[in-house]
Amino acid sequence: MDDKMSIMVVDDEEIVRESLFHWFKKYGYVVETASSGFEALDKLEKYPFQLLFVDIKMPGMDGIELLEKVKTEYPDTIVIIITAYGSIESAVKAMRIGASDYLLKPFKPNQLALVMERASHQKKLLFEHDYMKGRLEKITRFDNIIGQSPAMEHIFDLIPEVAQSDSSILLLGETGTGKELVAKAIHAKSRRAHLPFIAINCGALPDTLLESELFGHQKGVFTGATHARKGFLEVVSGGTLFLDEIGEISPKMQIDLLRVLEEKKITSIGSREPVDVDFRLISATSQDLGKGITDGSFREDFFYRINVIMIDIPPLKKRKEDIPLLIRHFLEKYGHETTKQVDRVTRDATELLKRYDWPGNVRELENAVERAVVLSQSRTLGIKDFAFLRSSPAPLSRPLSLQEVEKQHIQQILEEYNWNVTQASKALEINRVTLHKKIKRLNLERRS
Amino acid sequence: MRSQKKPVGVVPLGEVPEIALKVIAAHISGYYKLSVQILPPLGHPDYAFDERRFQYDAGIILKAFESVQFKGHDKVIGVLNLDLFVPIFTYVFGEAKQGGKFALVSLFRLDKNPDGHPSPSSLIFERAAKVALHELGHLFNLFHCREKNCLMHFSGGIQDLDETPIYLCRYCSTYLKDRLLRLNLLGSEEGLCQ
Repeated sequence: MDDKMSIMVVDDEEIVRESLFHWFKKYGYVVETASSGFEALDKLEKYPFQLLFVDIKMPGMDGIELLEKVKTEYPDTIVIIITAYGSIESAVKAMRIGASDYLLKPFKPNQLALVMERASHQKKLLFEHDYMKGRLEKITRFDNIIGQSPAMEHIFDLIPEVAQSDSSILLLGETGTGKELVAKAIHAKSRRAHLPFIAINCGALPDTLLESELFGHQKGVFTGATHARKGFLEVVSGGTLFLDEIGEISPKMQIDLLRVLEEKKITSIGSREPVDVDFRLISATSQDLGKGITDGSFREDFFYRINVIMIDIPPLKKRKEDIPLLIRHFLEKYGHETTKQVDRVTRDATELLKRYDWPGNVRELENAVERAVVLSQSRTLGIKDFAFLRSSPAPLSRPLSLQEVEKQHIQQILEEYNWNVTQASKALEINRVTLHKKIKRLNLERRS
Repeated sequence: MRSQKKPVGVVPLGEVPEIALKVIAAHISGYYKLSVQILPPLGHPDYAFDERRFQYDAGIILKAFESVQFKGHDKVIGVLNLDLFVPIFTYVFGEAKQGGKFALVSLFRLDKNPDGHPSPSSLIFERAAKVALHELGHLFNLFHCREKNCLMHFSGGIQDLDETPIYLCRYCSTYLKDRLLRLNLLGSEEGLCQ
């Protein structure tokens, strides 16, 4: 039998609770007792008991009702029914609902030992099932990319497809949507999987340092270059290079990288000898690169070079149906990491998390769950555990009129094109005269 | 050096063959290296008789022990020739609370083989000694052991009891020795029988 099995005895008769309590104590189990179904549910909320011994006849909530509730809320909990000879029909009913076994009071000592052995075996099977399921999910899906929304299903379909080619990929998505995870998944599914995956956040490095990191340098070419160092473009040799926040790199670096992508050669700083390189480039950005091209900060030819395949990762607010799945994933993750017994979120709290806008996307949700798990005193997270979340914007007190929507939209486009009426009218697909008329009629003004 | 501190008490309840008490005491002394003292008999535990079951409630007897003065004994084993039960079970051979002070050993169901034939007295006394050593193990906080070749393995019937050895496995033996040393009931150079 398993030493770690945690057991709760639910019976209104103190003498039965006491007897079973002391018997299980002799095995070193974690044992708790409850005198009613209500007390049992209360205790289950706080601690994940794996095995319940439930008496059928109890005042208030009987054993059958408790069994139904337990099987709905905690389907993995093993329930064994204890019954007197007279209530054998109820025991049969209990087995149909999901009880694993039943014992007729009083039972022979070996009967209880046998039932415990079967329960232990069932627990082992459940564990193995969970383990195998987890392994299977890891094999068939991609580590840590969680989702079942149509948008994520589309990405799951795309990953193995695009992984087969060597074309450059551009990942678009707000911060925290999991761009690096998608990049890693593509690498893992590609023929380069056994070679390095190197991720660089271009936004975190000044231009000169980024150049040195990517291209490497010779000894003594600048202060502090005490020895020669190979750049990541060379180190990655055969693997995948992931450049995050590609929109942040300077025009000079864009030219340098463009040349590398075309020639497949690099020359380290201070050297004249070009070296052959072989890597697959995956870039990512949370910016609108089209706007960068328009205002000249991002090279169009470089954009097309890195954007052979584009994958748009939706923000969390556009795939809210994935939130319960993500919550479950993070609960498991932090349950293991923190060894805290927190494995549920109340329905109200789940609804709250689904209503929230998640400006920081999946990363923000993960942080929120981690924080709630660490601070929780119970096995179930409720609304109060997520009180630290920024409050969602208040819903509008009244719906906007069509004219108000039109006014807001035109104002936004004009601001985007710096009040260049020609460009704004093109974007709005109306002629310039009409736009001028609308600006006048709607009293639109340039914001300071 | 054998410690003389607080011997284990073995006390008969009602009529119990003296030889059974001596066998139990000898096994405790021989296997656990503890001092043992056979105490004057206590009365028949009528108060624990359950009229519906025609059996004696072990829990009630153990409760009654708490009001008896067993001066000079930290652990006491009551021996009786009556059919014992605890409310959830149809019968028990013995009963003790984990880490408690008092245990019970019943001889009542030890005199028949699994096939119903009477057992020889040597086997009956061996069974009684096993139950006593097992229950005393619980008093020293030993848990039921998953190792079948261990005295602390749970025996639910007479056949199980016969298949269970009279000695502890290495793990339980180490645990018990450590426990007895801490309680200063065993000399550091003494070992338990394995």
